[in-house]
Amino acid sequence: MSQLSITAKRAGWRFASSLPALFGVLVFTFLLMRVLPGDPAVFFASGPTAGKEEIETIRKQMGLDKPVPEQLLRYLGDIGTGNLGRSLTTGQPVLSDLKSRLPASLELTFSALLIALVTAVPLGVAAALRQGSGIDHIVRFICALGVCVPTFVSGLLLIYVFYYLLGFAPDPTGRVDIFTSPPPLVTGFLLIDFALAGDWEGWRAAASQLVLPAFTMALFVVAPLARITRAAMLASLGSDFVRTARSLGLSRRKVIVTYALRNALLPVLTIAGIVFSTMLGANVLVEKVFSWPGVASYALDALLSSDYAPVQGFVLLMASIFVLVNLTVDVLYGIADPRVSVE
Amino acid sequence: MTIVRTGWLAAALLTSTALLASPALAQTRAETLRHVTGAAINTLDPNIPGSTREAFGLSLLTYDRLLSFGRKQINGKWVFDLDSIRGELAESYTVSPDGLKISFNLRKDAKFHDGTPVTAEDVKWSLDREVSANVLGKGQLLTGSLTSPDQFKIIDAHTFEVTLPKPDKLALANLAVVYPVIINSKLAKSHATAEDPWALNWLKDNTAGSGAYIIESYKPGETTILRRNPDWNRGSADKPASFKRIITQTVPEAATRANLVEKGDADIVIDLQATDAADLEKKGKLKVVSTPQYNSITFVSFNNQMPPFDKIEVRRAIAAALPYDDMFKAALFGRGAPLYGASWPDGKAPTGEVFPIPQPLKTDLAEAKKQLAAAGLPDGFSTTFSFNVGQAGTAEPMAALLKESLGKVGIKVDIQKLPDAQMSTLINEKKLPFFTEGIVAWLPSMDYFYRNFYIGPIRWNYASLDDAKITEWAQAARFEADKAKYAALGKDLNTRHFELMPQIPLWQPAQDAVMASSIDGYVYQFHRQIDFRDLSRK
Repeated sequence: MSQLSITAKRAGWRFASSLPALFGVLVFTFLLMRVLPGDPAVFFASGPTAGKEEIETIRKQMGLDKPVPEQLLRYLGDIGTGNLGRSLTTGQPVLSDLKSRLPASLELTFSALLIALVTAVPLGVAAALRQGSGIDHIVRFICALGVCVPTFVSGLLLIYVFYYLLGFAPDPTGRVDIFTSPPPLVTGFLLIDFALAGDWEGWRAAASQLVLPAFTMALFVVAPLARITRAAMLASLGSDFVRTARSLGLSRRKVIVTYALRNALLPVLTIAGIVFSTMLGANVLVEKVFSWPGVASYALDALLSSDYAPVQGFVLLMASIFVLVNLTVDVLYGIADPRVSVE
Repeated sequence: MTIVRTGWLAAALLTSTALLASPALAQTRAETLRHVTGAAINTLDPNIPGSTREAFGLSLLTYDRLLSFGRKQINGKWVFDLDSIRGELAESYTVSPDGLKISFNLRKDAKFHDGTPVTAEDVKWSLDREVSANVLGKGQLLTGSLTSPDQFKIIDAHTFEVTLPKPDKLALANLAVVYPVIINSKLAKSHATAEDPWALNWLKDNTAGSGAYIIESYKPGETTILRRNPDWNRGSADKPASFKRIITQTVPEAATRANLVEKGDADIVIDLQATDAADLEKKGKLKVVSTPQYNSITFVSFNNQMPPFDKIEVRRAIAAALPYDDMFKAALFGRGAPLYGASWPDGKAPTGEVFPIPQPLKTDLAEAKKQLAAAGLPDGFSTTFSFNVGQAGTAEPMAALLKESLGKVGIKVDIQKLPDAQMSTLINEKKLPFFTEGIVAWLPSMDYFYRNFYIGPIRWNYASLDDAKITEWAQAARFEADKAKYAALGKDLNTRHFELMPQIPLWQPAQDAVMASSIDGYVYQFHRQIDFRDLSRK
């Protein structure tokens, strides 16, 4: 019980201490957007008859007719009431846009991370066990390829091969085949919602739609995960406790899995947390290539058209997720290695 | 070792996709038209500032207007016809002999989507909204002398009258563009508030129309699904539209759009890269309708108020130094209609009814040097040439060729690639010296081009031209009812345009509509979107 309360206290303190950072992000993004060149009102008033009057209307609508400090105060007040403003690109409130798009990004990122972990950990372990051998080189080569091929290249390549040439994959647009009716909205995660509705046909459609983008994304992050696994595994294989375990005559399997791998997983966990947060934002190209209705492509569109509200909303969302992920990793870390939480 | 990698990947993907591949839903597909596009629909009311072109296209399907454009053929391609205007909600219309009164007989059988009949009262409320509320239609209708609710009069439930202060050639045409949609006024009013008497907020996310299609689902930035309105009979031979369902889906990646239509998963797409369109045309499996956009122009423009471009000789030097053919091929793969290379033996424009017309321009470096010397700049000068990122696909190769060619006559060009919002801002503030832009006129009449793109301090006057003669003639042409006099004014305008060279019209890019070979009836429309009411499957 005391272990749990220590963890909770720690988590609470960590969360509270990240609030100033979130506030800083908020203000910084706000100012940054206003410093960037380009007047959104002029951009959006680009209709064939757009004149001064229309530009003024849009400026007023976006609240840009007020001085910047006042805009900032208003913005902070709005955020306090949960209003993130309205996107001119989609015409919808930013909050509802993000709400409807976040599950898409999360589902893709979780799947990709799962694929990446399942692939990278065994690869890293294999490379560490046979250091300097052919396997090690192959793993290194795969990692190099994964990192140096940009996601939009690998994405387009996968589409070309598996959709265009071979015809195995469904058409690479969106989260589910356009002719499949979506499940009743519960979590926003299609795989979960379809399963809850008992619609397995729909579930298959959604899952098959997910395969290519998730693989594209996974390819990109296999490298850091595999390299960290390899390094951590090497460190742990060379450490005293493994030598001791070996000298006790324990089976090779027990030594590797229980003693070496369990300890090696700690840094992998940390990296997985970081990788997860960066993936959410770095998804943008994958989301573009696969017409995935996620938050990253949404933010990019908004940024290109100087649509302030969605960009600010997106950055705030990302910062919050980063804080949450770090918190989760911290807590997990504490559970995995009790020494960490004794502070 | 690549083989190892792809093998591993292929095996994993093969098992997963083979397991998961869903059965084709052939039946629904036959009655459905699937359209993929790079852009997004962001409002259901085309009048909201910031509406995208996709939103304009949608409004043509969900709403009716009083009138609509007919079609004509140019070089074998169907395009909209500004001069043939027919009734949509109006069964017929008559214009009084002095051209000041237009009276409309409304269809008696027309119904809104909720079943209530369309009456003159709805027409009045909708047009009042266009000229009173803060909507895009206000600025547009102004170009047809429609400015005040006093001009709109209900005669009886199915007769409606519009009064004009002066006979205006574009009054009728303005009632056929995307803005003056006829709204179910009772429904809209029930959602209006004291601050929003014209229900702008509600209509943004809801439709209250009588059009050929009803919104089934609308996810901004993703998909819009439309269901056919079985009661709609304003189509050809008074029939409802041909397709039962229309799906418009946003697919940002151009290569994917090309793949989708080639594989037969999408039925039609109009915004492919020129290379993809050319490639698909060559393969011959699909129908490719490539129509030069006869209401648009791509320019190389200069700020005529800014040195050294305030000198005619400098503008003429650049016009003589551009590598037209190479630019046309590199930017558009020759897909479109060139506006250079004409010959005007007497130095006068050959025609005055239309603009743009091909200019007598060709690459002539010796001439360019001569003009530069005459401008007092024999050694050339340095400048920046700007284009926006959104047009990089065509503008980048074009800019590179321009830079190379102008370098040969001593003009040193820095290429500046600007984000779209920044480019719009700089253009609006008239701060760019030398750049490329494209324009589109919904109502491509000669005087409309001159009035909207060559007069006054407005943003669309890219060249910042301020020429007394052009201003005077263009304004006079607007109300000139005599065809011969109109053509004479146009001839003067076209000749003067060439002499002043305020900007250099390069070409009219093609709109490449790539569709399944079974799709029939495509017409190039003024708003450069597909009017799905035209289409059917053979």
